[in-house]
Amino acid sequence: MVNLTIDDKQVTAPKTATIYEAAKLNGINIPILCHDKKLKPFGACRMCLVEVEQMKGRQIPACTTPVTEGMIIRTSTPDIVKARKMVLELLLLNHPIDCPVCDKAGDCDLQNLTYEYKVNANRFTDEKFHHEIDYNNPLIERDMNRCVLCGKCARICDEIVSFGALTFISRGIETKIGCEFDEALNCEFCGSCVSVCPVGSLLARPFKFKARFWSLTKQKTICGYCGTGCNLTLGVKDNKVLTTIYDENQGFHNGQLCCRGRFGYQFINSEKRLTKPLVRKNGNLVEAGWDEALDLVAARLKGAGAAAAAIATARLTNEELVLFKQLMETAGSNNYDHSAGYAHAALTEGFASSFGVAASPSSILDIQKSELLLVIKTDAYETHPVVGFEINMAVKNKGVLLKILSDKSGKLSKLPDAKTLIHTPGTETTIINSLAKVILDNKLADASAALIPGYDELEKALADFTPEAVSAQCGLSAVEIKQLASAYAKADKALIIFPVGQAYPGHTAALANAIANLALLAGKLGKEGSGVLCLSEKNNSQGAVDMGFQTADGLNANQILDGCASKTIKTLLIAGENPMVSYPDHAKVAAALDRLEFLVVSEIFLTETAAMADVVLPVCSFAEKEGTFTATDRRVQHIKPAIKKTAQSRSDFEILGALIKKLGGIAPTAPASVFAEIASSVPGYAGMSYVSLGEEGQFATVAVKPAFVVPQAPLAKSETGKLALVIGSALYHNGTLSQYGEGPMHVCPEGYVELSRADAAALNFAENDLLTVSSAGGSMVLKARISSRIPQGVVFAPYHFGSNPVNQIWNGAAVTWVTLTK
Amino acid sequence: MNPINTFVPIIQGLKITLGHLFKKPVTLQYPDERPKVAARFRGLHALNVSHNKAKCVACYLCPTVCPAKCITVEAGEDASHDKFAAVYEIDMLRCIFCGYCVEACPVDAIRMTGEFELANYNRKDFVYSKERLLEKK
Ligand code: SF4
Ligand code: SF4
Ligand code: SF4
Ligand code: SF4
Ligand code: SF4
Ligand code: FES
Repeated sequence: MVNLTIDDKQVTAPKTATIYEAAKLNGINIPILCHDKKLKPFGACRMCLVEVEQMKGRQIPACTTPVTEGMIIRTSTPDIVKARKMVLELLLLNHPIDCPVCDKAGDCDLQNLTYEYKVNANRFTDEKFHHEIDYNNPLIERDMNRCVLCGKCARICDEIVSFGALTFISRGIETKIGCEFDEALNCEFCGSCVSVCPVGSLLARPFKFKARFWSLTKQKTICGYCGTGCNLTLGVKDNKVLTTIYDENQGFHNGQLCCRGRFGYQFINSEKRLTKPLVRKNGNLVEAGWDEALDLVAARLKGAGAAAAAIATARLTNEELVLFKQLMETAGSNNYDHSAGYAHAALTEGFASSFGVAASPSSILDIQKSELLLVIKTDAYETHPVVGFEINMAVKNKGVLLKILSDKSGKLSKLPDAKTLIHTPGTETTIINSLAKVILDNKLADASAALIPGYDELEKALADFTPEAVSAQCGLSAVEIKQLASAYAKADKALIIFPVGQAYPGHTAALANAIANLALLAGKLGKEGSGVLCLSEKNNSQGAVDMGFQTADGLNANQILDGCASKTIKTLLIAGENPMVSYPDHAKVAAALDRLEFLVVSEIFLTETAAMADVVLPVCSFAEKEGTFTATDRRVQHIKPAIKKTAQSRSDFEILGALIKKLGGIAPTAPASVFAEIASSVPGYAGMSYVSLGEEGQFATVAVKPAFVVPQAPLAKSETGKLALVIGSALYHNGTLSQYGEGPMHVCPEGYVELSRADAAALNFAENDLLTVSSAGGSMVLKARISSRIPQGVVFAPYHFGSNPVNQIWNGAAVTWVTLTK
Repeated sequence: MNPINTFVPIIQGLKITLGHLFKKPVTLQYPDERPKVAARFRGLHALNVSHNKAKCVACYLCPTVCPAKCITVEAGEDASHDKFAAVYEIDMLRCIFCGYCVEACPVDAIRMTGEFELANYNRKDFVYSKERLLEKK
């Protein structure tokens, strides 16, 4: 700490602070335009000028100057005010001053400062800017006439997003922010640049002219897409969510969001939402009243026993999942599951056996504190983009080493010094086993490892996994495997990150066991910045696991569908899940649902699955209900309604409660009472309440009881003359819900198949060609995308799209062998 | 009772009345006679037009400042990406004719006219749409 004087006030500040930070810490406000707490100091605008007595009254920028002991600083002498006024006059000189038509008005730093410093005339005259406005993409409008050249957009895109779409181009008075060769913006559309732009140069087009900033009600909530659990502020007017609002103080991620979180909110007030319950009569779904619909469902459930089953999406709140369990138990069935039955196996079977708890021992906050990150699949960026930002920052700012094991390269591979080992698809578990084997053989194992139960069995089981033995099968050289193993073992703090989800069937319980073994062997558990983090797919996937929404004595989702096909299950309740699109094997799912006597679907939209139902119940979105979500690292967060429920929709909580009552059970009245029950019964949640969760949420504790479990590594099969199709997540989408968010659909509206340049050249395919992709299970047509990130012999397809569901050719295998024809 | 105290004020009063009998009358024979409203009279609003378009750019400042909350503006984006008022409505039943909207407008798009005859039969007819508000030339 250093002592200094700011505006005659004796204050202290950390040694590393800048004058601006020191002042802010002590409640003194220095105006800024180009500074952002998340970015490196830049010093472009000179709004933050202050006088330092020791520097002979010179005016220096507060945002770039570090504090020193005994500094005497003045932040608003008449001279400084004069200088700041001049800065503003110069900024306004070429600026169009079109506040009446600028959406930033009311939230604009330039406008606010102009007002504060009473700059109502300009001593200078010059021409206004005449830059062409970029309307070429549907999400971000770029009007460089309003730009104050603070550089924040270019810096955030580089420093945090690591995309590098924007930069200063041209020189002198011509300088502006532009893209490569001054072309139109075409990037990953995370909107980070829009969020930090202090003026109206970068604006969100979906919100263009919709409302004024001051007329919006700002409601804090949690993003309803992926498991990162980003905090979100919704801008609400007239019971409509019109936009998301940036709040740099929100969440561990300081308000950073991805394309889905920032631009994917439109499903909340979509015209396409279901408004009334639907009941099938004479083969058609017709509108019905709630009582009629619920009575029908209750009559089917009463005494149904094991002939009833339920599949829920991991987007329901914890409270709803608990209630759903209660309903099924009241009906006498313990057949309930989520996420296709396998997407959570890494946790419920993998970590549960290795760590004694179905949760990740590490958190997202460990990423920046680590020394080495081992990421399994570059897709971790696509599935959890804000976790990806954390990885970017760790690598770029903290010098964390990044090692990637993946079947294709990706954005993470481009980070400085990142090493991507591209292996044969489907051999992850084998490689991890081999890494463990190297650690054992080279005596790199931690002393604690030998004491963990199962050590001897593991040692025996790994005998066949020498790098030499697996190298050919995995497509990696033995040297590469050995180098990775020793780098991992020798790093003081190392964190393994891997995504799971419906699109990653290869990320099995066995892979989780193998990863856990590796971390335990190398002694990486229980340290800050070290350990294992499994990225669960949906916003409440971890919650669904914690609530036990699947029991060992009940059927899992896959078995439930088999049960439907064999008619042992007669009534199926599906809440928010869309198996027709997102579960493997389209034909099998369709046949199973078809054979049901009674299918009930509670949904926001009339999805492909809901269209098959006998009763469809319209439910509300996350923005209309109260409850808790548990993020992937077991951060439990509280959501409150941002708007009133639209049309006749009800929350799943109300629907499930009503059904329980109709079955003669006692339903809790409010989510809060269910959460109290959760806090008293779910391990790790003890002592939590809505109040204690606050805005930041609370981590549920993870008590690890380590054990070595021998993982069964699948044997990689290959078929000559065919390509290996791997399924995955596209950056702009999460599950099937994002199809109803307009933003994501603007930039990624349909499925595609991504293939390597070499294969495209050999097969004579061009970009956007319509290709017939055929597997043993079927064939479908997808648009070709040719990219340099895919290795030869591999093709990739995202799984989110109802318009061309990839499950027509994919039966849930980690690798599907396909042929492509034009 | 003093007679002087009683009658003098009455006579004085009558004097004034008598005086008025011979002055020009102030009563206006409305509607046969029309009043001449002052230039700064605050009557019905008019949206100014320039280049055959309403000048209003839908900046939302008038609905923001309006103390009666009787202005509804909805902005739209035209073919050249510019902002215009797709909806502009004033509910005259709620308007208090304070003129703040005129004062707030940054582009001189709204003024108040001398028009004061706003009576009507239906409530909904008091909600003036953009078309009705556009200035008549
Ligand atoms: S939207 Fe994201 S990726 Fe695109 S330019 Fe802005 S910060 Fe960069
Ligand atoms: S576009 Fe916005 S953020 Fe980027 S330099 Fe200009 S003013 Fe700054
Ligand atoms: S989708 Fe995931 S990463 Fe993106 S904003 Fe939402 S929670 Fe964050
Ligand atoms: S005159 Fe006053 S009350 Fe009437 S519309 Fe204008 S601001 Fe509102
Ligand atoms: S203040 Fe003027 S420009 Fe703005 S909405 Fe009202 S009339 Fe239109
Ligand atoms: S804020 Fe310090 S120079 Fe811009």
